[in-house]
Amino acid sequence: MSIIEIKHVNKGYMLGDEKVPVLKDINFSVEKGEFVAILGPSGSGKTTLMNIIGCMDLLDSGEYYLNGRAIHETTEKDMTQVRNKEIGFIFQNYQLISTYNVMQNIIMPLLMRGMGHKEAEEKCQEIVKLLSIDHRLEHRPNELSGGQKQRVSIARALASEPAILLADEPTGALDTVSGQEVLKLFGKLNEMGNTIVMITHDLKVAQAAKRIVKIVDGRLSDYDGTYN
Amino acid sequence: MRISEILRLVMLNLSQNKFKVILTSVGIIVGSATIMMVLAIGTGGKLEVAEQFKNLNAGAIDISYESNATEFGSGGRDGGGGMPNMGGGFGGGGGFPSGGGMPDMGNGMPDMGGMNDDRMNQEKIVLSTEDMEDLAVFVPNIADTTISYTTTTEVEGGDLDSASSYTIAGVKSNYMSISNLELAMGEFLSDENDENKEKYCVLGYSIAKEIFGSVYEAYESVIYIDSRPYVVRGVLSEMGSVASGISPDTTIFIPYETGIKYITGEDVSPTITVIAEDVDEVDIVKENIESVLADSYANAEFTITDAGSKMEAASKSNETLQILLVAMAVIVFCVGGIGIMNVLFVSVKERTNEIGILKALGCSQKDILMEFLMEACFMSFIGAVLGVMLALGITPIVESFSVRVELSISGGLLSLAFGVITGTIFGFYPAYKASTLIPVVALNQE
Ligand SMILES: Nc1ncnc2c1ncn2[C@@H]1O[C@H](COP(=O)(O)OP(=O)(O)OP(=O)(O)O)[C@@H](O)[C@H]1O
Ligand SMILES: [Mg+2]
Repeated sequence: MSIIEIKHVNKGYMLGDEKVPVLKDINFSVEKGEFVAILGPSGSGKTTLMNIIGCMDLLDSGEYYLNGRAIHETTEKDMTQVRNKEIGFIFQNYQLISTYNVMQNIIMPLLMRGMGHKEAEEKCQEIVKLLSIDHRLEHRPNELSGGQKQRVSIARALASEPAILLADEPTGALDTVSGQEVLKLFGKLNEMGNTIVMITHDLKVAQAAKRIVKIVDGRLSDYDGTYN
Repeated sequence: MRISEILRLVMLNLSQNKFKVILTSVGIIVGSATIMMVLAIGTGGKLEVAEQFKNLNAGAIDISYESNATEFGSGGRDGGGGMPNMGGGFGGGGGFPSGGGMPDMGNGMPDMGGMNDDRMNQEKIVLSTEDMEDLAVFVPNIADTTISYTTTTEVEGGDLDSASSYTIAGVKSNYMSISNLELAMGEFLSDENDENKEKYCVLGYSIAKEIFGSVYEAYESVIYIDSRPYVVRGVLSEMGSVASGISPDTTIFIPYETGIKYITGEDVSPTITVIAEDVDEVDIVKENIESVLADSYANAEFTITDAGSKMEAASKSNETLQILLVAMAVIVFCVGGIGIMNVLFVSVKERTNEIGILKALGCSQKDILMEFLMEACFMSFIGAVLGVMLALGITPIVESFSVRVELSISGGLLSLAFGVITGTIFGFYPAYKASTLIPVVALNQE
């Protein structure tokens, strides 16, 4: 069974009285253990799609099954639980809580599950080592470099051991070297058994994934080797 | 989420934003302090009124004549015969009206008619012992009458280095019981003291301490009023302040006639005090007083006030003050509340992104609300406590403007509760609004 199964999904935004379609009849599925890149130019609807996959936004029509659960029929309250248990979301702009230190940020999803902070910190020891941020745990986000912030946000996504990792432009704000490091890390995480969906406008970045799909003007298609 | 973890987050947030906490609290601090002060001043005012009237007899009616703009008669100013001390050094002897107040003339009730003419023709009306006796005889349903006046003159003696001015009250022997005064030592002035114009005095508590250092020292000592020696016959207990008339603590009481003979001459405007037997009959008694006085002094307007209406007026103005204070408190709290709401609204707006992150990570709305509620609660609690402390701090300053401040635990608790509730409501509502958003909307809100 697919982890993600999206059928005929449409999504638009109201612009004045008019509805502007952004996602048009999207069909998309992801199997367990896959590493998929969604490649598309700016404004093509990547983030909109990612937000729907991540249960952060509501779709207008169509069906979305996550691990067999009909998300399009789920209430916002239950979506909260889905987000916490099934999804590790890595935001383009990190979205770390500025008043908390690195460790506090990483363990947040676990606290929300009802875990105590000591137990949660214990549980995250390996992850922070893996991401080499174990010497930065007491720092606040504004004391970190962009690459470090990205790794904290990845660590937070991993902490909850989600069914799927979703990364929106994970290298977008990083220099080439840090970007390469993050992609290498994704490869390693995928090898460890994590399912990953990543969106990017950069073909080179997309090529780090095992499968690429293309989104142009709100329509999704398989990558046919052409992109500009 | 565990409550203990939410609390930990609240503490983290508060300790990270100390400045913001203080800033937010300022509105609550001011609001709580104001509520506390308003309650304290209100209670103080109430007690003040109650205390001022504690030695005022509810049935007491004061009669005085203040203006001299009436009845310039045809000059028959030799009325009731020679005053004993007429010539006694008082200037203006020529046009000086004789008060008609011959002490030994009083048995002349049958003479009433005759006397009327005399008194009516005076240039200036001065209430006298005779008028008092008239009232005592002709006004029914009265328990007692007395007459008194006050003046100010130089006093020497005791520990005083030089002569100083004091209030002197010329009173009858029944003044003490009518005014509910109590003696700390000795006796009050007697009828004989008055009839014989003896130089005795009774000191108010504060004066006794001021001139002699103690009540004990004062008793049976001698003070010099207008350079004449007076023996201290008694000292009053401390009575506190009074709303009107004579303030007993700071007054030297001397016999009525003694004062007229040695100090004031005829230049006095005495007040006659009539005590109604029944407080409910005060109005009828007042009417009767008016008609009896009108017999003696046609067309003269006397000021007749009863203690009841004085109390009423005072407590009414006190009520007005309290309504004013409460209105002020309400305004301060509304303004403060709007201020608090604005600060918290802005800060929650800033933190809408944080709420978005929490939602994206799968934090339930209940947990988010709990966190923000606790934060608002803590902040406003700190503010309210500081506010109560501020109120305690400024109390001495307010009191230095001789405003009575009566702090109370219930007032403190009330202002505390008010601060916490206002801060919590205004802090919670914007967080509630933010928590209902779907994650993308919250995250994208700038
Ligand atoms: N909240 C919104 N309200 C209205 N229109 C929106 C909103 N969000 C996105 N859009 C529109 O939807 C289209 C797709 O936006 P989206 O953010 O998905 O693009 P994207 O592929 O992520 O682009 P980029 O690579 O620049 O991030 C854009 O034309 C955008 O203007
Ligand atoms: Mg985007």
